[in-house]
Amino acid sequence: MKRKLSLLLALVMVLSIIAVGCSQQAPAEQPKEEVIKIGVFEPLTGANAAGGELELEGIKLANKLFPTVLGKKVELVVLDNKSDKVEAANAATRLVDQDKVSVVLGSWGSGLSIAAGAVFKEAGIPAIGTSATNPLVTLNNDYYFRVSFIDPFQGNVMANYAFNEVKVKKVAFIIEKSNDYSVGLAKFFNDAFVELTGDQNAVVYTGYYNTGDQDFTAQLTGIKASGAEAIFAPGNFTESALIMKQAKELGINLPMLGGDTWETPEVIDIAGAAAEGAVFSTFFDSNAKLTPVTTEFLDAYAKEYSGKEPAAVTALGYDAYILALNAIERAGSADPKAIRDAVAVTKDFPGAAGVVSLDENGDAVKSAVIKTIKDGKFTYLTTVEPIKK
Amino acid sequence: MKREKVIQSLISIAAVIILLVILNKVLTPFQARIFNLGGIYIILAISMNLINGFVGLFSLGHAGFMAVGAYTSALLTMSREAKEMNFFLEPIVPWLLDVQLPFPIAIIIGGLMAALAAALIGAPVLRLNDDYLAIATLGFSEIIRVIFTNTQSLTNGALGLKGLPYIGVTDSPKEAIWWIWGLVIITIVFMVLLINSTYGRAFKAIREDEIAAEAMGINLFKHKMMAFIIGSFFAGIGGALLGHYMNTIDPLLFRYLLTFNIILIVVLGGIGSITSSVISAIVVTIAQELLRVLDGKMQIGSLIINGVPGTRMVVFSALLMLVILFYQRGLMGTNEFSWSWFKKLPFKTKKAKIS
Repeated sequence: MKRKLSLLLALVMVLSIIAVGCSQQAPAEQPKEEVIKIGVFEPLTGANAAGGELELEGIKLANKLFPTVLGKKVELVVLDNKSDKVEAANAATRLVDQDKVSVVLGSWGSGLSIAAGAVFKEAGIPAIGTSATNPLVTLNNDYYFRVSFIDPFQGNVMANYAFNEVKVKKVAFIIEKSNDYSVGLAKFFNDAFVELTGDQNAVVYTGYYNTGDQDFTAQLTGIKASGAEAIFAPGNFTESALIMKQAKELGINLPMLGGDTWETPEVIDIAGAAAEGAVFSTFFDSNAKLTPVTTEFLDAYAKEYSGKEPAAVTALGYDAYILALNAIERAGSADPKAIRDAVAVTKDFPGAAGVVSLDENGDAVKSAVIKTIKDGKFTYLTTVEPIKK
Repeated sequence: MKREKVIQSLISIAAVIILLVILNKVLTPFQARIFNLGGIYIILAISMNLINGFVGLFSLGHAGFMAVGAYTSALLTMSREAKEMNFFLEPIVPWLLDVQLPFPIAIIIGGLMAALAAALIGAPVLRLNDDYLAIATLGFSEIIRVIFTNTQSLTNGALGLKGLPYIGVTDSPKEAIWWIWGLVIITIVFMVLLINSTYGRAFKAIREDEIAAEAMGINLFKHKMMAFIIGSFFAGIGGALLGHYMNTIDPLLFRYLLTFNIILIVVLGGIGSITSSVISAIVVTIAQELLRVLDGKMQIGSLIINGVPGTRMVVFSALLMLVILFYQRGLMGTNEFSWSWFKKLPFKTKKAKIS
């Protein structure tokens, strides 16, 4: 029995090795109708699967609306990167080398994008990031672009909002230390806020926590004693909701400010009434008709997924796809180099989540939307225009 | 007999080198990437097998040691410009800013730092047994990750590091195959020599029965420490290679999931066999990519199955369960590859027929 099983296992493994050899030749032999391949690498399993699925929704929706470019059919090659850096780099190599895609879209999660970025740069294939907001993704990489704004801008927006609209002079931070996004946002909020107030000690208290923490009493007690007038707590939605809840329980009634991760129904579910009045910046809102494309996107989305509100990252996935098509059209060919050059000079491109102009790093300069939680719903407040340098 | 063995080993190493030359020409970049990753996993699997398989210490700290190796080597090889670019939140500690060492020295230091960490953690922890040791080492590896997340000016915290130099001394990705597989050969040769030495016999004795081993005059603690430190050294080197191969690292990469990936390789292959780790590492790495087919749309006859992402991981889970239930010794058990296999081969088949 055991001997047979071991033989079987060994056979399966040997066959799998042989199959590797075979599977590589197979696709090359079938010259079908001419297609333009667009690669998508997203975390469809693992920790970030929820985000990846939402973005893929947007990309697929756009593909359904615009299935052809330059008279050729667009073929999406979707690969899962397992929310894992090693897999992300593997998937990227596979897209570039085996599937021979012209341009790549994705991924949710900056770390995954950075790992794949090295591959794209080496191969000279342009990639359009969707919601990766870490500045390092595009920095020093001529082949990575993105349709979202970056952490520094978002931090800046919230600092301005806190100073001009909420009219506070002293804030406290609660930072999710293990999250690059949270750390980055807090840093740039701090820089902008110190400049606005002219007070070196405008941030009176900084508390840290790790992903998965449940109890924030220590940080909140610190804030209570510090004399802060508002709390800036960008970070994962579950923890943020718990912070709101526990703050109310401790009798802290300060304005809560955060980032785009808060735009998740769980925040309202968990924090309940404590979430009322929380303000955060995000990419997109269905009520803020940023461009004509927004309407187009919303109509198509309502038709496809009736009864669901589109998430901001879905709009960004949509934008990445239509920007890729637009660049291919402008380049007039499916040649990656030509597409790269076309993407790089993108200016005033109307997307569902705002007008995209790429700066010299390949980052989108675009407007941010500020929302609040009112009566248990995400409510549009205002749109903040980008800072023109 | 002994000379014959040496010659055979040299021949096999030469054969591997010739194979590498051919593969380097034939493989596409994608295949080369998987092949090289397989090499890195071989180093990691062998180093884990030394601790878990040969000495029988159930340690789950591999990801932590890899993190130490990877960060050390990354920080030692990155140029001043690259460091300044990465550390935009908080400047890097000044004494590290201008340090830039050649790649081979940096990965050795990376390995040594991992070994040092192992020595520090091993001294108290190796007095524990079984489950307690597993929990303590797992905790240690998480502690390392949390420390690296919080030392913003040393490791850039959660932002991670980007733009690590390529593997090799010239700035080209082409060199990787030689460095990785060179190190694989060195690791294998070192481990084979170690396992066949008196120390190796002592390791196995400890694995089989600690009390009996101690009664035979084997210093348990010393030998456990030794295996733990050596294993961690190679884990550090493997981690450094992984970081350089991907050009980027961050603390999230070194979650305990990474340790379990390596355990999967070790258990599938067979706990306590170097050959099995080598085969298993390559097969698992290749199969992970190959089974992507399962994630996609499939057509069996007239039946069309819409792909569910993650199906390929189910295969590994099922395989692991099968191995644990029916074939606990893994693919090879504790057997090793040897030339005498080929001599025995005709004889064996005959015997099988009779029985």
